[in-house]
Amino acid sequence: MTSVLGHLNELEFAQEYRKWSSCPPRALFDAPVIDAVAADKKPIAQNITQQARYCSALFIWTDCDREGEHIGSEIRKVALQGNHSLEVKRARFSNTERAHVIRAAQQAITLDDKQVDAVAARQELDLRLGAAFTRFTTFTLQALGPPLTKNDANGRSVPISYDRYFKVRNFIPEEFWSIKVLHKRDSIDVAFSWRRHRLFDRAAVVILFEKCLRARIAKVIKLQKKPTSKWRPLPLTTVELQKLGSMFLRMGSSRVMDIAEKLYQKGFISYPRTETDQFDRGIDLRKLVEKQTQDHAWGPYAQGLLAGAFKQPRSGRYNDQAHPPIHPVSYVSPASLDDDFRRVYEFVVRRFLACCSDDAKGESNTVDIQYGDEEFHASGLIVLERNYLDVYPYDKWTSSQPLPQFRLHETFEPSEAMITDGQTTAPGYLTEPELISLMDANGIGTDATMADHIKKIQEREYVMTRSGPRAGAQQDDRNTQAARGGSVQQFIPTTLGVALIEGYGNIGLETSLDKPFLRKDMEAKMRQICAGTKTRHNFVQETLEQYLEVFMTANQRQQELVKVIRLSKPSGWV
Amino acid sequence: MSSQLSQVADQLTSSTGLQPNRQWLQTLLTTQRSSTPLQALVQTARFRFLACDITESVARDACLPSDINDPQVKERKLRGRIAVQVMGIEDISKSRWEQIEALEAIERGEGTKGREIIRVAATDDSAESTAAPVLKGGVHKLLLQDVAGNRVYGLELKPVEGISLGMSIGCKLILSEAVVARGIVMLAPSTTILVGGKVEGIHKAWKQNRKADLRKGIEEQGR
Repeated sequence: MTSVLGHLNELEFAQEYRKWSSCPPRALFDAPVIDAVAADKKPIAQNITQQARYCSALFIWTDCDREGEHIGSEIRKVALQGNHSLEVKRARFSNTERAHVIRAAQQAITLDDKQVDAVAARQELDLRLGAAFTRFTTFTLQALGPPLTKNDANGRSVPISYDRYFKVRNFIPEEFWSIKVLHKRDSIDVAFSWRRHRLFDRAAVVILFEKCLRARIAKVIKLQKKPTSKWRPLPLTTVELQKLGSMFLRMGSSRVMDIAEKLYQKGFISYPRTETDQFDRGIDLRKLVEKQTQDHAWGPYAQGLLAGAFKQPRSGRYNDQAHPPIHPVSYVSPASLDDDFRRVYEFVVRRFLACCSDDAKGESNTVDIQYGDEEFHASGLIVLERNYLDVYPYDKWTSSQPLPQFRLHETFEPSEAMITDGQTTAPGYLTEPELISLMDANGIGTDATMADHIKKIQEREYVMTRSGPRAGAQQDDRNTQAARGGSVQQFIPTTLGVALIEGYGNIGLETSLDKPFLRKDMEAKMRQICAGTKTRHNFVQETLEQYLEVFMTANQRQQELVKVIRLSKPSGWV
Repeated sequence: MSSQLSQVADQLTSSTGLQPNRQWLQTLLTTQRSSTPLQALVQTARFRFLACDITESVARDACLPSDINDPQVKERKLRGRIAVQVMGIEDISKSRWEQIEALEAIERGEGTKGREIIRVAATDDSAESTAAPVLKGGVHKLLLQDVAGNRVYGLELKPVEGISLGMSIGCKLILSEAVVARGIVMLAPSTTILVGGKVEGIHKAWKQNRKADLRKGIEEQGR
């Protein structure tokens, strides 16, 4: 039995194309590429070849996703070099529960070469396109100032922060008016808010307000009391971990992932790269809860779950068939971990315990009144059972002030009515959790690469971050996220980032290069390869042609790009 | 001929609720062949009637009072039925900036030409929303003009079917016993009859100027 450490092989251009100045970037679209064992993985590969000599069969236990399949094929290759007559099998498994592993071992299958092909195609495209476009961009910019850092694809997340940046920059505040009705009953002050919320026309509000005053009497037109609940969270995925990590733990997504990766290697938590937000029925969750009972902070809560409060977690919609949702595998005393590690571990544990708990239960009351021609409403919330909230402090849900008794159809004269005014405020700059959500929604990167993308665009100085005071309310106060408050990292494009995007935009490339559409298309085609409806060769050729067209246009207009970038030259550039 | 004129006029009135201007109708009919059957004439006349500017095609029998814009008058009722046409419309429940951004998104082709839009992602997936229900569909303020060319703003007090940002400019309305408060007509289903129609020229101009008008509105704030 032996192991690997990610991919063994590395795809590279042939020696004569590796140097930046060795060839025009265009040549990289069809330069020969070599798929060979990476220098730092050679000892691992040699070990496998060696071991294979003494075996009659190879049983591969890599992750059951596309990348895992491809790694499996690399292992197969080096193993067969040591022993031609090796029988090769692979296990299909999605968690490391004992029963599940035994079943997987009994039902070995063969490697799926379609998935292997899909990954191989992706690797080739990433290498060719990334290198071609990066070299092109860098050469263009070199004419103007310091060279950029090297390597692969353009940060496709810059445009998102750019879009938001200009939304904030161009924003003009506007005045609005509203009507508020106050009524005191049973020594409780009830504030009724306007159904129309607010209007941007003062005269209209004054007229409607006068109509209310003239009516003098308000009438209760609807009373509603209904049970309400705040749902416990879904099982934890990578994207969620990154989002919430930066929201609640104040760590960058790549830092969170680094830590999670290490916690996984030490066996404290499960594999942190997963899209699955549903637990397999086969996993004994109670056993996992039991391991947490010894903790000082959440141990008693875990005991409560075992004593009967346990609920099977909600199931989300995704299952990558490779990994279970992120959960604690074994108990480690938080005191023995470094600060950041402790906080990530604690978050994973609390999230897991919250998943296995009941929803928080409450009761909401609403009173609707008619006053003149206008309708107003007030609502109250009573939290009856906190349940999962007790172990999951990241969610907030608290009782509001209680509402006094009202009877249906009763009339009363409100104690006070007034016109209130306010101004719209600009949306805040893009925050990391928002960027991750947007990348996820638009198919930029995968759960595994998102954090790297975000790190890269910062390293390249396309965007900078600042931990700004979170711009209080969003333009729209319906947005609840602001309430979670605190200071989250904000992304602001640098002058260089802005120049790049405007440069591409001005030469008419914005539809193809900086928007993430082609990426998503690529992902769809990879799935077609897996399904056997497209060949690896067709896919690579098709995509290269698509991008080549874009690339040639860019080349022709290179001078225009230089001009635009020169106009918005970052300060400090010569 | 004159009996034909009356017949067409009567049919127009019964189908639209509006009195045509005899002069206008006379001119229209002289361009039609005399052999045209009555029903076809009425069809043509009706279409032209609704596509024509109200100051030309509708009889000047009922107008808005000349002091209708007086903000000192707290509230009064307009007697009878008065024909008006829509000269412009705005949604005052949304900020102008928000509307400009939406227009620009359409200009860029997002949402209309099948290009992919940057999807916005909702962050809070759990919990029933305890947030207050907000009235949907907007609150509209319309610029109206009567047959004599008097103009007045109308405020959609209660949602009237057919009034929306997508409606045709030049559309005819009948105000029936409508209430005017501080110089603005209150529009509600009980006092507003939507006749229909569209005046191509002003519709086009309104559409073209909409973004500029919204910008102007922002600049003129507080003045």
